[in-house]
Amino acid sequence: MAEALIDRNFLERLERLTLHWQKSFPGLVGGHNASHFSGGGLEFLDHRHFHHGDDLRAVNWRAYLRLEKLILKLFQIEPRIPVRIMLDCSGSMATGDPPKFEYARRLAAALAYVGLVRLETITIQPFAASLEDAIGCSGGRHRFGPAVDYLLALQTKGKTNFMQVSRQFIANYPQRGLLIIISDFLDDGECEKPLQYLSDFGHDLMLLHLWSEEDRVPPWNGELVLEDAESGANLELTFDEETRLNYTAAFDQYARNVRDIALRKGGRYVGISTKTPVEIAIFGPVMEARATEVR
Amino acid sequence: MFLLNLSAVEFFALFSAVSGLAVALYLLDRSKKKLKVPTLRFWKHSEKPPVARHRRRIQQPWSLLLQILGMLLLLLAISQLRLGSPDRASRDHVLLLDTSAWMSARAPRGTLMDEAKVLARAYVRALPPSDRVMVVRADELSTPATVFEANRQALDNAIRQSQAGSASLHIEQALNFAVEMQKLHGRRAGEIVYAGAGRIDAGEAPGEAAIPGLRILSVSEVNENVGLRKINMRRSMSDTDLWEIFVSVRNYGKVDRVIPLVLHFGGAPIGSARLAIPGGGEQNHKFEFRTKAAGWMEARLLVKDAIPADDRAVLELPAQKSLQVAVYSDQPEALRPLLSSNPWIQAKYYPTAAYNPDNGSQIVVLDRFKPPAPPKMDSIWIEPPATGSPVRSLKQAANVPLAAWRTDHPLSAGLRTKDLRLESTQVYGASQEFAAVAEVEGGAAIVARSSEPKMAVFGFNPGRSALRYELAAPLLFANIFQWMAPEIFRRAELNGDSAGGVNVTLDPGMDASAVRVLGEGDMVLPFTVQGRSLRFFGGVRGIVRVLAGDKEMVYSLSLPDVAEAKWTAPKGVKRGIPKFSAMEASSRDIWQVLALLGALCLLAEWVIYGRFKLAFAPRIAGFLTRFRRAA
Repeated sequence: MAEALIDRNFLERLERLTLHWQKSFPGLVGGHNASHFSGGGLEFLDHRHFHHGDDLRAVNWRAYLRLEKLILKLFQIEPRIPVRIMLDCSGSMATGDPPKFEYARRLAAALAYVGLVRLETITIQPFAASLEDAIGCSGGRHRFGPAVDYLLALQTKGKTNFMQVSRQFIANYPQRGLLIIISDFLDDGECEKPLQYLSDFGHDLMLLHLWSEEDRVPPWNGELVLEDAESGANLELTFDEETRLNYTAAFDQYARNVRDIALRKGGRYVGISTKTPVEIAIFGPVMEARATEVR
Repeated sequence: MFLLNLSAVEFFALFSAVSGLAVALYLLDRSKKKLKVPTLRFWKHSEKPPVARHRRRIQQPWSLLLQILGMLLLLLAISQLRLGSPDRASRDHVLLLDTSAWMSARAPRGTLMDEAKVLARAYVRALPPSDRVMVVRADELSTPATVFEANRQALDNAIRQSQAGSASLHIEQALNFAVEMQKLHGRRAGEIVYAGAGRIDAGEAPGEAAIPGLRILSVSEVNENVGLRKINMRRSMSDTDLWEIFVSVRNYGKVDRVIPLVLHFGGAPIGSARLAIPGGGEQNHKFEFRTKAAGWMEARLLVKDAIPADDRAVLELPAQKSLQVAVYSDQPEALRPLLSSNPWIQAKYYPTAAYNPDNGSQIVVLDRFKPPAPPKMDSIWIEPPATGSPVRSLKQAANVPLAAWRTDHPLSAGLRTKDLRLESTQVYGASQEFAAVAEVEGGAAIVARSSEPKMAVFGFNPGRSALRYELAAPLLFANIFQWMAPEIFRRAELNGDSAGGVNVTLDPGMDASAVRVLGEGDMVLPFTVQGRSLRFFGGVRGIVRVLAGDKEMVYSLSLPDVAEAKWTAPKGVKRGIPKFSAMEASSRDIWQVLALLGALCLLAEWVIYGRFKLAFAPRIAGFLTRFRRAA
């Protein structure tokens, strides 16, 4: 099933990578990344009586031989740095050729695989107007299959509402961590402020800004009737060379704003055209932005 | 100015369709496009109020005009628009070069053929360079020497290589052929030019219907000629050594002439005659010549006239063959009358003790004895002993009537007997190998085997029985010898004739399916039979043999088929070499220019209004911006 999104050769190449974040999160370690703060590892915590349904592997057999009672050992679990991938599933992601959503799914799958290989705890969180049901996966590369199935089952729908989404996200995920947002960042409202909130909350922000070529330089000419893919609003206008230049300038300005927000608090920004193959994007612009690195 | 490939109606119909399609596509292309975009956020920055309020209105007239103009120019190029008068456009001419036998006639300068070639080349030179010509050699059949060809060198070669043939001119067929060629393969019909003397067979004159664009290139007038028309040689029916020779001579001129005719055999003169022939008349003369030998017989007219080829004819006489028959009999007197009655048979008589199974004869007759070894050649067995008979005897019969002759067998052909009784005969049974020839009660008295070597077995002695008094006896032996050696008895008839169509009259009752016509090297020639008339076509000089039953007719097609009549061309026909040089060389082709202009129009439209602008304008704008900044 994984082959539907990413082929085997690409997966083999991804195994050499690891996710990289720049911020330090107190009391947390993650995967193979050393924490800047000292903290406990997998250490013994306590004993308690065995109850029906407990894991037999945790029974203290020495104590049983001595006391003839089943005593269970309890351990302190080390917290990990959570990696959360927010995937834009709004209607605007269905536009473009190929559709941006297809590209975003492959990108998310590739990053999730990189994280799983390094034993990170990955959460894939789709969103549009609000947060949708997420999937969490951890424990190695064999958990990649369910993640791919989940990604393939996702559909685009609805409007983007970054403000609502950021509020929900801060409420649902109080633990800070690496936050990767894959989106076209096209919101009828403003998306700068919500992103700023997320960054201010303490998340290590990594924005993967996707666009198709026609999003940036529309190829059409003449009389156009435009329909917003999310809101369904219409706009009639005459499009020519002059207006095309204005359009592209506005788009580039918007992309710069998004990048500035990411960079302002030590986050990272990668703008990717869907013409760029995912493999080249991962090993090119994403790696150059230090979102991933080779171990 | 005119269109070469299309008529004006076709052109305008095509242009209307194409331009209508272009306008429709233009309106479709310039209509409002409905698009789904991810956001309207950036479009609002570049918003311009829509210009077109009505989708069917032409918004970019210059773009449409350039497209239509481009297509108009391309269509004109395809239609091959030419400058000049349509009369000056290249045309396709058919040059009929007469190669009939009459064209070999002597003329003041060379032969008539040479004159025709000069005229033909002059005509080709006078044509505009773009005109195409098909050279057709016209005689009994019309044979194209070239296709419609503009290459003057190829045409010149075809004209130079044309030679006068042996057949006569079939002018109507040649003119029809030229018209058909212009219809089928020509682009624009030009002239049909006939170069030749116009001599045709009487009755071959074409109809009065005018041939469009016919031109005549006349050669010198030659009228006086005397020639052999036909020679026929056959052996006399009464004397096989005697040849009867019939010679037919024609005076093609208008003046009465006395013509010496001589015959030679093997170089020695065997006969001569002086023939007084009136102008336009024909005379036959009969010679007789006795020989058994083979050799060349030559008939020659001692005259100097226009066509030397018809003053001499040579025929090959075959030798008189005879059938060698060996008779082994101790009492040959009874058989001598039967064998000596046939002049083609040379019989030798031997005693039975001197029997030799391979003595060099063609047929052997075994009279009442058993040979120590069977003969290797065809054989006639007379009353063979029961122990040595090649066919088993059923019984011995005495005083039996001869019941019937089996007329379905070739040995019994034409035999009749009445109340014939055989004093004593062996009775044989018919089998698959031996067929009955003469039947008696309980079986056959004479049987015959058709497989090689052929065999006839008599159960009685024909020279001693009552059959010897019957006419059927020599006829039966003649049938046997002809059945065993048909080539000896084949009657030969030699004809000196002209090449072309030959008519042969067959004997009454001849089976058409048994007739064969063989050319040089025994190649089978096609022929038709209507009633008793057989017709075949020998297009070239050579020998053709017609085998019809026991008759062989040899046609030596060595005489030219000289036509006796003159074709009178219809009135109003153009004559002589035309003066094309007075006109301009030809109309001028401008399709290349039109195609280039059409392509430029479409390119300009694409650059100014089309995808080119869309694809390259941002790059050009970016380049200009960088250039301004750098400046």
